[in-house]
Amino acid sequence: MKKQLLTLLLSVSIFVVTAQTKVFKEVSEDIATQTRGIIQDNSLVGYVIFTRLEKASEDSFNYRITLMDENLNDIGTVNFTEIGLDLEAVAFDQDVLCLAYLKSSTDGKVFKSKKQARKTDVDDDVLTQFLTLNGKIAKTNSLPVNLNSMLTQKAQSWVHTGYEYSGNLSHQVQLQNVSGKGFACFYGDADGCNLIAYDFKGNQLWKKSVDDKQDFALLASKSDIYLLEKEKQKYIEGGCSLTGYNFEDGKSYPKIAIQDKDGRSLTIMNFGNDPVTGNPFVCGKIIDTKNGNKLGLVRNYTHAPYDGVYTIDVNGHNKKDLKETFVHWNDGSQKPGISKLGYLSDTKSFNVLTSAFRDYNGNTYFVGSQLIKKVKIGSIISSVITAPTIIGPIMILAAGTSKCKLLDANVVKLSPKGTLSLDNTIACDDSRFWRSNTDFATVNGGRKFYSLDDPESKTSFVVADDSKNIMIYNVDQKKIIRTIPHKAEGVQTTIGPAKDGHFMVIEYNKKEKYTRLSIESLK
Amino acid sequence: MCKVCNRTLLLVIIFLAFSLHSHAQTADLYSYSDLSMFSFAKQKDSLKKAWDCPQLYKDKATQKKYKEIWNARTEFITSAIEANSYINDGKIYNYIEAIIYDLYKANPQLLKQKPLLLIDRSASVNAYALGGNVIAVNLGLITFAQSREELVLAIAHELSHNILNHPEKSMKETAEWLTSDEYKNSLKAVLDSKYQRLTRLKKVMESYTFSRSRHSRYHETDADSLAIILLKNSHISFDPEFFLRLDSSDNEYREPLKNPTKSYFASYHVPIDDAWFNQRSKGLSSHTYNFNSSTVIVDSLKTHPDCVERYEKTKAEINITGKLTPIPAEIKVRANKMLIWNIYDNLSLTECLYRIFLEKDKGNIDPWYDFMSYNVLSGLYYSNKQLNRFNAVGIKSKEFISKNYYELQNLLEQMPATTLEALIKAGSNATFWSNLPPDAKGMKALFASLNFDTDNATKAEAAAATNFMNSNPSSMYCEFAEHFKK
Repeated sequence: MKKQLLTLLLSVSIFVVTAQTKVFKEVSEDIATQTRGIIQDNSLVGYVIFTRLEKASEDSFNYRITLMDENLNDIGTVNFTEIGLDLEAVAFDQDVLCLAYLKSSTDGKVFKSKKQARKTDVDDDVLTQFLTLNGKIAKTNSLPVNLNSMLTQKAQSWVHTGYEYSGNLSHQVQLQNVSGKGFACFYGDADGCNLIAYDFKGNQLWKKSVDDKQDFALLASKSDIYLLEKEKQKYIEGGCSLTGYNFEDGKSYPKIAIQDKDGRSLTIMNFGNDPVTGNPFVCGKIIDTKNGNKLGLVRNYTHAPYDGVYTIDVNGHNKKDLKETFVHWNDGSQKPGISKLGYLSDTKSFNVLTSAFRDYNGNTYFVGSQLIKKVKIGSIISSVITAPTIIGPIMILAAGTSKCKLLDANVVKLSPKGTLSLDNTIACDDSRFWRSNTDFATVNGGRKFYSLDDPESKTSFVVADDSKNIMIYNVDQKKIIRTIPHKAEGVQTTIGPAKDGHFMVIEYNKKEKYTRLSIESLK
Repeated sequence: MCKVCNRTLLLVIIFLAFSLHSHAQTADLYSYSDLSMFSFAKQKDSLKKAWDCPQLYKDKATQKKYKEIWNARTEFITSAIEANSYINDGKIYNYIEAIIYDLYKANPQLLKQKPLLLIDRSASVNAYALGGNVIAVNLGLITFAQSREELVLAIAHELSHNILNHPEKSMKETAEWLTSDEYKNSLKAVLDSKYQRLTRLKKVMESYTFSRSRHSRYHETDADSLAIILLKNSHISFDPEFFLRLDSSDNEYREPLKNPTKSYFASYHVPIDDAWFNQRSKGLSSHTYNFNSSTVIVDSLKTHPDCVERYEKTKAEINITGKLTPIPAEIKVRANKMLIWNIYDNLSLTECLYRIFLEKDKGNIDPWYDFMSYNVLSGLYYSNKQLNRFNAVGIKSKEFISKNYYELQNLLEQMPATTLEALIKAGSNATFWSNLPPDAKGMKALFASLNFDTDNATKAEAAAATNFMNSNPSSMYCEFAEHFKK
């Protein structure tokens, strides 16, 4: 009896403790947060934290927007109630923050039956919200969209199954501020694609329908907006064109085909604003007509899938305003520096270019890894020795007779006058030798390159994110200014974008389970 | 004796007097063993033993919750002692203890036992009662107070909390509330509700907080009234104006500097670009924004809320007899230095340097402040190397700081590492080092290793830190070296 009483008392006291824990746990489970950097004219100016706090009613949720400045200091919060929202994009100009959401009346709803689900009105929109720095929502616009939502089953317990709508935009919302003018918004749904211009009060200036394509990228430049379109064509990476629109009236300018003078397709490695003129430019590689689609395997990069590199500067709206620079190496014109196959004699390696950017002196830099290929002598000897067995050589040769390895990074410079040269190399960790028929992504092992800018000193930097270290390379000084180990004493480090002239260091301490952020100078 | 000889002799005497004075000031701040981890080790153990949770409730859940809260208090104070949050330097400790002793002697009916005093190293202008006859006084309060009477008032107020058993009552109220049917039902109602769960939960918590703050407001009024009695019994003046001064105690970094920010770096003779003092990024911080309550400190969030109300309630009790007693200069100087050092050791480098500049504005030429300026720049260089400069600078929103502070934090954030290195080199060769004791000089060698040893950096840092601690075992700066020894 005493034992039973004790058990009962224990369970009661546990209830008191767990009731509190349970309620906090359940309430916190309803809270969801999305964080986005706020971009203005390609500069990160702050951060927005969008939080779904709780279900407010059958159809709506309570939300909170928290604004932080570029130093991660809180500026203020705004609360509002809406039906299911998912933050898609953010832009800022003239003290107005434009936020674009995907709004869905069925978001978070699970129906007992298909019948019940079909009875419910499906109301999906792209919602644009205009928030002032006084914490006021100046205007909200709803643009109905067709998400082509399907009913899918969702298990709710061991025995009960519910149904929910699932669907998405065919092209995610893209937002850009048009400096001193307003905001440009692009998205695509099952019914087509739309390009919309807003003023700073949130009034729609115009809306244009755009034919659906494989992919789109939006860019603002001075008083124009540009839409880079990629359609499916013979070459996986080709098929791009660029269309400009006047922001004031939506009038379009003649379409620019992204191809060389012989009509060869081009890849897009960067589509952005020239840091000095602000004009749009695209740059990338010239696709080889024969081997241009042979990608994926590491050996393919030794068979010249690309014939050269290019830049196109859009300095006006007419054909004559385009400044096009094409550098081919497959015609032998770049010898002795680069062979017809794209082999660099200086580094005795092939050049797998994966990143490109424009500096403040009009140079375009292409960055990528050195690749070497060697014959597997052992395999050839073994296949000769085992030739009488017939099956032996087949087995050995099936694994390939060559092997590949990635070495340092090449920084290749294309000057404004069109001279291509190997500017420097960045020391990276060599990969091991892989069979040539290995996927390139496996050999690359997550190595990536991207650029950072310091507008103040007009300096560009390459970030070489390698397996062991992250190197920050100053393009002007031609040297590594920082080496940041990915892992040191149980801390995992990654870096990300931050305010102008800075980068964000994100350190995750696995052992003590905390994340430390720091915004460090590029100087 | 001729006139020239006389003048020379006078100069020599003045120089000697000054150098002795400055040396005395820097050599004798406190020793490493004065930190609470060492100096309060016995008290910590005694507290653990003495603070045994009393059996107050028949209801097991309430008693259990009460014990949890009780133990949390013990854990708070013992952890703070271990973390060196307190210091027993002798001089400041004795000065504050003498104040408590005066109050204790004059109020035998109310203060049956002499309280245990802790000097908290925090810069916050505050003192606090922990119950169990323990009281803590922050260094921030000592530097803020303009007279002994102001300090006495703050201490008497905290002693009153202990006399009136406010900490114990608060623990009891919390335990009772958290185990009450009302609280449990409110939580259950949150779980049962389909909508607005967070709002409902916040309301439950707010109703508790409101009730607590209402009680706490009564507690503050009661403590103020009793403090005035303690002061009267001790024949100590009471000036209610102190409450009004307390109202602005959170604005310490809004105080402007007397000279342009750049001028404080003139002695280094290193070119400093004016542009570095301005925020050059296009960030939101440079915009004008006006969200509700984002630009002012709401009264409830102040360290000392309701100050005006407290002034109004007590102003009739004003009792100033004679001149207010100034706090001895030595106490003020020591408290300020200890506070600056603690801010530095906690890696708040802009705060630290700004306080140094404020001190220089007072005409203080003590070389210890030049030494600390050097430490700030060296620490910043080290933080830059460690990719931790952003956290070392600790950027504050412009609304809560002066224009000079804003410029200083911009400078510390944006100054290139090469300029920092040049400043450190210039600082290393400055003349102030000759007036410093050996342990301060040892810091220069320690920083040289931290900042400029490139081979096997972590091991070299640990070795340099160990070497410093072995060479200067009693130095207060061992606390800093300890970070790298680990």
